[in-house]
Amino acid sequence: MARFQIKCFEHEAVVFDTASGDTHYLTPLAHALYMTSRDQPGKNLSEMTTALALSFEVEPDMHFGQLIDHAMASLQQIGLLETP
Amino acid sequence: MKLLQLSPSSLRKHLAGQGVWLRTGPFSLRIQSRLPRVAEGLIELYGQFEVRDSNLAFADFHVEINSPSMLRRWFRPQVNFSFDGDLPFKPLPLDQAYPMLEWGLNWSISMHAHQYLIIHAGVVEKNGLAAILPAPPGSGKSTLTAGLVLSGWRLLSDELTLIDRKTGLIQPLPRPVSLKNESIPLIRDFSPDAFINRASHDTAKGTVAHMRPPKESVRRQHEPARPGWVIFPKWSADSSTTLTPRSKAQTFMFLAQNAFNYSQLGADGFRVGTRLIEQAECYDFQYSQLDQAVAAFDRLANAAPAAKAA
Repeated sequence: MARFQIKCFEHEAVVFDTASGDTHYLTPLAHALYMTSRDQPGKNLSEMTTALALSFEVEPDMHFGQLIDHAMASLQQIGLLETP
Repeated sequence: MKLLQLSPSSLRKHLAGQGVWLRTGPFSLRIQSRLPRVAEGLIELYGQFEVRDSNLAFADFHVEINSPSMLRRWFRPQVNFSFDGDLPFKPLPLDQAYPMLEWGLNWSISMHAHQYLIIHAGVVEKNGLAAILPAPPGSGKSTLTAGLVLSGWRLLSDELTLIDRKTGLIQPLPRPVSLKNESIPLIRDFSPDAFINRASHDTAKGTVAHMRPPKESVRRQHEPARPGWVIFPKWSADSSTTLTPRSKAQTFMFLAQNAFNYSQLGADGFRVGTRLIEQAECYDFQYSQLDQAVAAFDRLANAAPAAKAA
C-alpha cells in the first residue's frame, strides 16, 4: 500500500498518511502544486510558479510567489514533497 | 413483543431483576435498573421497540443505572451508569437518571461499534436519501432534527450517524431525540402532539428532555438509507433561510474530526468517509424559523432523484 492515499474533490483534496494516521487538507493551490510536481517532475520552482499563475489566472508576482512558498512548505511538512 | 405490551409493573420487575432486553437499530441491549424514573422513561419513549426475555437472548451491551450506595438513596441521591460492570462516568444527581441512560447508551455504541464509521451528527431520511446534520453544540441540530421528523422525514438518529463500512449505507438508530433548553418549548409549540418526557434540570447541557421517536421510524429501523446530503445547520435569530454549497474536502475534514472512531479505523475510515462525501451534496444551512427550515429540506428532497431501495 502506498504511504499516501489522496482523494480529490474538484480543486481541493484530502490526504491520508498511512504511516502516521494523520489526515490533511490540501487547498486548491497546494493541490495544484502537488499535481504539477508529480506530473511534471522536471520543472523547477520558478517554472512551476509561472505555470500555476497561468492556470489560476493571476500575476506571478511576489505575493503569488509567497503563496507558492507557503503551499510548498505545507506539502513538505506533510511529506508529500521531499525537502530539498 | 413490543415494550408497550409489558405492563408497567412487569417492566419494573424485569428491570430490577435480570434486566430488560431491548433492540434499538442494529444493537441489542440488556438494561437493568431499580429506579422508577428509568422505568418511566422507557415506558414513555421506547414503547414501540422490541423486547425479549433477557435470559434467552444475547445482548451486545449490558448496562445498568442505579444508585451507587444505600446512603446515596437518601442523602443527595445520585445515579451511576455501568457498562459491563465498569463505571465509565462519575455519578450524577438522581434527577438526571434518564438522560444519563441515553448518554451512556450513546457512549456504549460510539466506543464499541467499530463496524461503523460513527459521526457525531443527526441524520434523517426522505425518499431513500439521508441528510446528515453535523454541527457543534448550540447550532440547532437537534431542534432541526426533531422538526424534520415531526414533518414526515424519517428519524435515523439524532446523535450518532452510523455508516456501514461494508456498504457505505447509513444504518438507522432511531432512539429518542434529545432536546435542550429553549428547544423543548419550541418543539412543543411546533407540534403539540409530539411526546416529550419530563425535563431534567441543571445537567451539564442545561435542561434536557427527550422526544419519543416516531412509530414509523422505529418500524423501519432495519432499513438503511443512502447518503444524500451533508448539511451544517446554524440557527440564527432573524436570519433568512439559506442553503449554500460548501467545500466537499473541508466537509470531509470536519466529519473526520467529529467522528468518534475515525482514527481507530485508519485507512478504512478515510475510504468510508471519502466515499460518503463523494455521494453527498454538501451545504451550509442557516435558519431562524423551523417551518421554513422544514420547507427548504422538503424542496431539496423533492428535487433529488429518488434513491433506489437500499
